[in-house]
Amino acid sequence: MNNYTFDELKVGMTESFDVTITAEMLDAFKGITGDVNPLHNDEKFAESKGHPGRVAYGMLTASFLSTLAGVYIPGERSLIQQVETKFASPVYIGDALTVKGEIVELIDSVQRLTLKVTITNQNGKKVLRGKMEILVV
Amino acid sequence: MTREGVFKELTEIFWDVFDDEDIELTDETTADDIEDWDSLEQINLVVACEKKFNIKFDMKEIQSLKNVGEMVDTILSKVQ
Repeated sequence: MNNYTFDELKVGMTESFDVTITAEMLDAFKGITGDVNPLHNDEKFAESKGHPGRVAYGMLTASFLSTLAGVYIPGERSLIQQVETKFASPVYIGDALTVKGEIVELIDSVQRLTLKVTITNQNGKKVLRGKMEILVV
Repeated sequence: MTREGVFKELTEIFWDVFDDEDIELTDETTADDIEDWDSLEQINLVVACEKKFNIKFDMKEIQSLKNVGEMVDTILSKVQ
């Protein structure tokens, strides 16, 4: 786990990690949230809607932003304040995602950073983009 | 910039941060008077003020602000 102090952070710094979406992740997410929508849980239903298989929950994909902040940038001192996301493309079981954050702003007075975030799949297509406001405490 | 000018600009910042153009500020307005004025929005207000007025606060100043009037006076002292 990283443990950047505010003073060690610079605009332009990036961190990233990779994760592959599994059926077990979707099932665990359903168990936690109670979201039983068939688009995420019924392969035939998802196919009837034009997808190659079950669609990963957008919020499951977004949940990796928690890891990005809490483990990578800034890491241990992270306190997430705000998250804005757009789900640009669907994510499917087996997709290999790269979760990346780049510091675009540092506010000294409140020790807060703005992280531009993108999640791309194995084809280089953006599946999520957004912005996080994170306090360094 | 006049005190009235700062007050007007600050009011617009409050409208923007709280997404509520019905907010009417006075010098005595505090966080107790605006339902969503919590610690998160306090930080958003500070950041918005820094950008709007092109100033910097320090942590002690932020913690010592007791109401909108003190906020206006602190901003005014930095823009003059």
